[in-house]
Amino acid sequence: MASKFQSWWQGVRYRGGGPMITWMLHRIGGLAMVVFVGMHVFASFLTQQFGSGLGTTLNLIYQSPYFQAPLYFFVIFHALNGLRIILLDTFPKLLEYQRELIWLQWIVFIPIYGLAVFFILAQIVSGE
Amino acid sequence: MEVKVKILRFNPEADKRPHYQTFCVDAEPTDRVLDLLEKIKGYQDGSLAFRRSCAHGICGSDAMRINGMNRLACKTLVKDLGRGTIVVEPLLGLPLIKDLIVDMDPFFEHYESVMPYLVNDEPPPLKERLQSPEERARFDDTTKCILCAACTTACPSFWSNGRYVGPAAIVNAHRFIFDSRDRAAAERLRILSNQFGVYRCHTIFNCTLACPREIQITKAIGEVKKAIATGSLE
Ligand code: SF4
Ligand code: FES
Repeated sequence: MASKFQSWWQGVRYRGGGPMITWMLHRIGGLAMVVFVGMHVFASFLTQQFGSGLGTTLNLIYQSPYFQAPLYFFVIFHALNGLRIILLDTFPKLLEYQRELIWLQWIVFIPIYGLAVFFILAQIVSGE
Repeated sequence: MEVKVKILRFNPEADKRPHYQTFCVDAEPTDRVLDLLEKIKGYQDGSLAFRRSCAHGICGSDAMRINGMNRLACKTLVKDLGRGTIVVEPLLGLPLIKDLIVDMDPFFEHYESVMPYLVNDEPPPLKERLQSPEERARFDDTTKCILCAACTTACPSFWSNGRYVGPAAIVNAHRFIFDSRDRAAAERLRILSNQFGVYRCHTIFNCTLACPREIQITKAIGEVKKAIATGSLE
């Protein structure tokens, strides 16, 4: 009898290389945004409605640089990756150059994310 | 030289779960992974099960995961796999039957669902249905498919939902959709525009990298997506 042997882990272990990693980061980015927006709405609701301390704690968490730095990473990556996919879907000819496009995406990503990190660090240094 | 080959084994009559077994094989750097499997089956463990037929990369029966990536065992040389242990596992996303053999039925059902044959009811001309070299070139890439399933079983969308037709079926639909002699492009595009059709493709590219025939699969899928969106085959 045929047995279905497949698990989440087997899939993650598949060596798809760079393109598969961009897709995974894109998915994680989407989730990260849902978590962030969810927390934001929930925290505002708690503080506004009940003046709850939990809301303030949530605010502190997502405002902390340790939360912000990865969040910016995933959100900026998600946006740029989405643009790349839209470009590829609109001009299928470009799909032959997908490797180059992924490099281009990283080249655009690094300064933008660098700038974001710079502002986060500047904020810490100025102690705001 | 001696190489270690670690194979995911599964005997449906004895095992509850698949498990790894490692064999030491005497090999030349120019041996193919298929040669190693043959040596193991011939001299060490006759119960090892795997599919092969042509041994020359054209029948498409020996696609498997080699060092974590889908490839044809008969087209993969030992020297191209680095120095470490060679890990051989069955394709993902299809039911496992035994050792490296998976049930290909779901794969071929998807293939059949896109009408992978010429449809043209017009009476044929006296000699043949002529086609210009340019018209032929339009779908040349997708004629190369050997139905090995390396692409479809490398696709995370297919792993998560086996009802997705998968890259191989789309490649074979592309081969006829863009054939100037065929008349069923609209019907195939209709089939592929449903919820388990082309839009399950998230441009992940695992298929293109896995294809042993180096078909630009994601590009073919992109062209089909565009044809559906614009209603034009240009
Ligand atoms: S498109 Fe390539 S990987 Fe997919 S079935 Fe055909 S030959 Fe195999
Ligand atoms: S045995 Fe035929 S393709 Fe490998």
